[in-house]
Amino acid sequence: MAVTILVLVPLVAAILLLAMPPVSGADRAVALVASVATAGLAVVVSALRLEVDVMWIRALGIRWHLAPDGISIALILLTVLLTVGIVLHTLHGPPPEGGTRSTLLGCVLLVEAGALGTFLARDALLFFVAFEVVLVPMWVLIRRFGDHHRTDAVRADAAGRFIFFTVLGSTLMLVGILFLVYHQGSSDLGVLAAAHGSGMPHGVQLAVAALLLAGLGIKVPIWPLHTWLPAAHTIAPTAGSVLLAAVLLKMGTYGIVRLAVATVPDGVATLSPVLAVLGVVGIVWGGLACLVERDLKRLVAYSSVAHMGFVVLALASGSHTGLQAALFGNIAHGVVASLLFFVVGDLKEQWGSADLAVARVALRDTAPRFGLPLVFGFAAALGLPGLVSFWGEFLALYAAWFPAPGRPVALLRVCVVLGAVGLAIAAGYAVRVIRIVWAGEGSDPAASPVRDLRGARRAVVVALVGATVVLGVGPQLLLHLSNADAAGLLEAVRR
Amino acid sequence: MTWVVRLVVLVPALAGLAGLLLARSRPAAQRIAVGAAVATTVLALIQWVAPLGTGDIDTFGALPLGDLSAPLHLLSDELSGLIGFVVAFVVLTIQAYTVWYLREDARYPQFAAGVSLFAAGMLLLVQSADLVLTLVGWEIMGWCSWLLIGHDSERAAARRAAYKAFMVTRIADIAMVVGLITLSVRARSTDLFAVLTEPGRTGLLTFGLVCVVFGIAGKSGLVPFHDWLPDAMEGPTPVSALIHAATMVAAGSYVIARLFSLYAGNDAARTVLAVLAAITMVYAAALAFAQSDLKRLLAYSTLSQVAIMLSALAAAPAAFGVGPGMGHLVGHAFFKALLFLGGGWLAVIAGSTALAPMAGHVRSGVVLRWGMAIGFAALAGVPPLVGFFTKDTVIDAALEGAADGAGFRAWVVVVALFATVLLTAAYCTRAWLVLANGPQPARRPANGALEVERVGAPAGSVTNSRLAGVAWSPDGAVVAAGTERPPEQTSAGEPDPELVDETPPAPSEHRPSVQVAPWRGWWSDTELLALLRTASVAALAAGSVLGTLLLLTLPGSIHVGWLSAVVSVLLIAGAAWAVWVVARRGQRDAADVLPQPVRAAAVAGLGADTAYAAFGRAVVATARLVVFLDRDVLDAYPRAFAATTRAVGRAGQRTHRAVPSLGLIGVVAGVVVVAVLGVTVWR
Repeated sequence: MAVTILVLVPLVAAILLLAMPPVSGADRAVALVASVATAGLAVVVSALRLEVDVMWIRALGIRWHLAPDGISIALILLTVLLTVGIVLHTLHGPPPEGGTRSTLLGCVLLVEAGALGTFLARDALLFFVAFEVVLVPMWVLIRRFGDHHRTDAVRADAAGRFIFFTVLGSTLMLVGILFLVYHQGSSDLGVLAAAHGSGMPHGVQLAVAALLLAGLGIKVPIWPLHTWLPAAHTIAPTAGSVLLAAVLLKMGTYGIVRLAVATVPDGVATLSPVLAVLGVVGIVWGGLACLVERDLKRLVAYSSVAHMGFVVLALASGSHTGLQAALFGNIAHGVVASLLFFVVGDLKEQWGSADLAVARVALRDTAPRFGLPLVFGFAAALGLPGLVSFWGEFLALYAAWFPAPGRPVALLRVCVVLGAVGLAIAAGYAVRVIRIVWAGEGSDPAASPVRDLRGARRAVVVALVGATVVLGVGPQLLLHLSNADAAGLLEAVRR
Repeated sequence: MTWVVRLVVLVPALAGLAGLLLARSRPAAQRIAVGAAVATTVLALIQWVAPLGTGDIDTFGALPLGDLSAPLHLLSDELSGLIGFVVAFVVLTIQAYTVWYLREDARYPQFAAGVSLFAAGMLLLVQSADLVLTLVGWEIMGWCSWLLIGHDSERAAARRAAYKAFMVTRIADIAMVVGLITLSVRARSTDLFAVLTEPGRTGLLTFGLVCVVFGIAGKSGLVPFHDWLPDAMEGPTPVSALIHAATMVAAGSYVIARLFSLYAGNDAARTVLAVLAAITMVYAAALAFAQSDLKRLLAYSTLSQVAIMLSALAAAPAAFGVGPGMGHLVGHAFFKALLFLGGGWLAVIAGSTALAPMAGHVRSGVVLRWGMAIGFAALAGVPPLVGFFTKDTVIDAALEGAADGAGFRAWVVVVALFATVLLTAAYCTRAWLVLANGPQPARRPANGALEVERVGAPAGSVTNSRLAGVAWSPDGAVVAAGTERPPEQTSAGEPDPELVDETPPAPSEHRPSVQVAPWRGWWSDTELLALLRTASVAALAAGSVLGTLLLLTLPGSIHVGWLSAVVSVLLIAGAAWAVWVVARRGQRDAADVLPQPVRAAAVAGLGADTAYAAFGRAVVATARLVVFLDRDVLDAYPRAFAATTRAVGRAGQRTHRAVPSLGLIGVVAGVVVVAVLGVTVWR
């Protein structure tokens, strides 16, 4: 019951917020209470591992089955805590352009409801339904609340591109799910995972895996299906960028683990060389693009492509270590990317653009509260040990050097070397940004300084910096959480 | 007792974090930084005196990874105890010195925190019994070096040097990561002892070991990764001392030493190491001779000396163990830190880090004069200073290696070592003659360091103009980039290192000193600060003289063969005499005999920087290609899709003119008929 309420709270609050008359000031209270209540509930649900399992659509045998487990708990907590952060951030900023604040908050909470449903769902079709819920509010965020310094056509392009890619992905995924459910005779993810693809001919497994990976790979995004991401990130408001990076992309990787790796392991194993190569191309490609990218938000988006490449590489290894690395890297990217988007989004709000070529005041002395989180964020982005990303990336390479039996070892080792090259490229772009923005390469001391971070916005950023350090020093916190369920998921694969 | 081992890493790490996040005021930052350094030194001393002899000290629990394990243990043995203590001690002197050196710098808290973090990284690496923790310490040092070299981020040269240092070492780290992963996967564990005892599979082992050699070549500055180090002199002098003396640059030899039992049985990897080290040691020593800037000279000498440590590990017989290499690490830590801190002191007096303006200033104080003399003599390897013993132990080990049948790699190292001894003595003599024989500056009261310092305390306003990124020379001249700007600049403009030889020593005119509020009642702040500086230099000088005693605790670190010792002493004396003659008994700079183009090329590092820049441009060109492909090739499909959809829509719109035509009515009627027929017939 509590699990159902957990999903319903943000959903009902979102409907309230969207229906609210624009002049009322109640949106603040509704959004705050709903997001905090959701966060509290999520903690309870995760701690006690509450679940709900009732028949939903009897004719189709679809159950309303929501339950957290070790693989999803970290993502659930990331989602609810970041939503609180986004709500605080939005409430303590200037009113949004392009619509009312209550609409924006409503969309944020609607995305939260969809994401929670996705992470909790234990039924493939329920998963799909929840997965689709986030699309429209996300589109609204980009289309209506997008960067108003750009023309309407640019916003339309970014939003349209987002919808085109993700709907295409969803369609492929739906076909894959239907294929799978038809063959296995059940849509229960537990049953599907326990069957681990037995009874399906290899060709069918391969087809299902290809459909699921292609569909979910658009969301991750896996190279070369990533071109929607930079546009969407650049145009989306801070709230939208953070949601995209920390929640939507995670739904892709989570879906791959939950839907593809668990249910059609042989198909995924056959495709793992492709996955590994695409992942590593993403690492190098995204990193190189960052080296010359001028728009800071676009740069962070490309760095996301690179980071998700490590996750994909880890998944391609097929081993327990690899799965752990992928799950950890997923969360790490969520924390780091949201930290960066909060900081960069605020900077863009004040600068009016995020163009690195414009001479501005160096942040180091004039705005240290912006500067330090920025340095932390980019240090994490380059995989500095002691900060969260290092473990995801190092363990991904470690795992890929020693993949599960039957995977192409030589190819994966070449991928590891290229992935390590990607680490050097990451250092190049991260330090490039810090050198320009923080240390003041090409800066103009006479330009007007930015107002330093204050109040709730600062608290949000500080909390994220804290998370980066805590998880970077104690990666066990997350690894222990997912260890048993990752092992369970692979036990099925091994048999 | 295991807590001591953990605290040795934890204390500086926490001090670094606290300094970075909390300390806003200078006194608090000073207390945190120096206090933590003292505590670390004491803990490291305990650890050294009573090593636990174990490699199973838990840090924060093993990583649950399934197939591959990562226990993340720390170790404590004689070697880690000694190196840890030396690192902690050198860091303590540097922290104390920094309080004086950056006394006017508004960013002191950040700097001191950076030094603490840097020390934490090194101490973690020293005590790590796990390859992941080694990598963690390794990377943390790289990052801190970026932060500290770029401390004066107003200056473009400092920003560039920091970027260069970080990128060059990070590129070498590609090999480091791959190498460590290879070695770990062989043992299915990152645990050091599992890695060391894993038998078999030599192909992968060689690959891993060679990768690690290239990995350490980055931070240790082996050719072709060497050129970041001279440029890193843009950082304030304390950080130069830190990087060179006991941490980042020396860390590579420690990593190799920890893996020595694997290297000992692997000829291929050791040959690679021997060749790289031999080239670097001669090349860097030769370049050091021609440098016109003291800090750059010391940087090249570090490259050369670190290569000596590595050559010992490459050439010594397996039975000799790591003693010779690690002994030289310890000796070098003392005398190089001494030279840097003394050099920084000189630079503050002379207002520049270039050699020519410093001429004669070494006579300013007793501690300074003796400190620099001891430092240079130890670097040259004059008996009975520590440098003599450690260097000759290395030579002896290499000769033994050659006798032991190591063949090519040992002989390469032996030849390179003797050549380096000669060159090192030459550049040390040259530098000393320049520093000691210049015209005695008129202003000098010459009765002790404290006096000099009181006169020399700069005005507080300097800091502000400096932080605003404005050239702060009195006449507003734009200051040339090239070397670090010492904190106490007194005369117009800083000479470019390449022009320095033509520039006469700048006349000194000091700002009037500012009366500082008395600190703790009876000592003025200035005096206390100067005392800290002098004590640091004196402590390091003592270390350079007595360091040999410390090494008695490390087996194999002192083992001087009499023949090689005699030969090297003769080489040193010959080189010193030759330089003395060439320098006309100190009346001119011995490097002036070099042809001007050669000299200029050597000062510029023989074009290595140009090569690096060309590499960088190639990467950027590739990146531009990637962006082009991303925007105009990959993205063409969605755009084509959108365009096609729109075109189809328009075409459909055009055909539907919103007038029901006869044909349409016919079609509809037909459909109805078919439907009715279908329904009725079906039944």
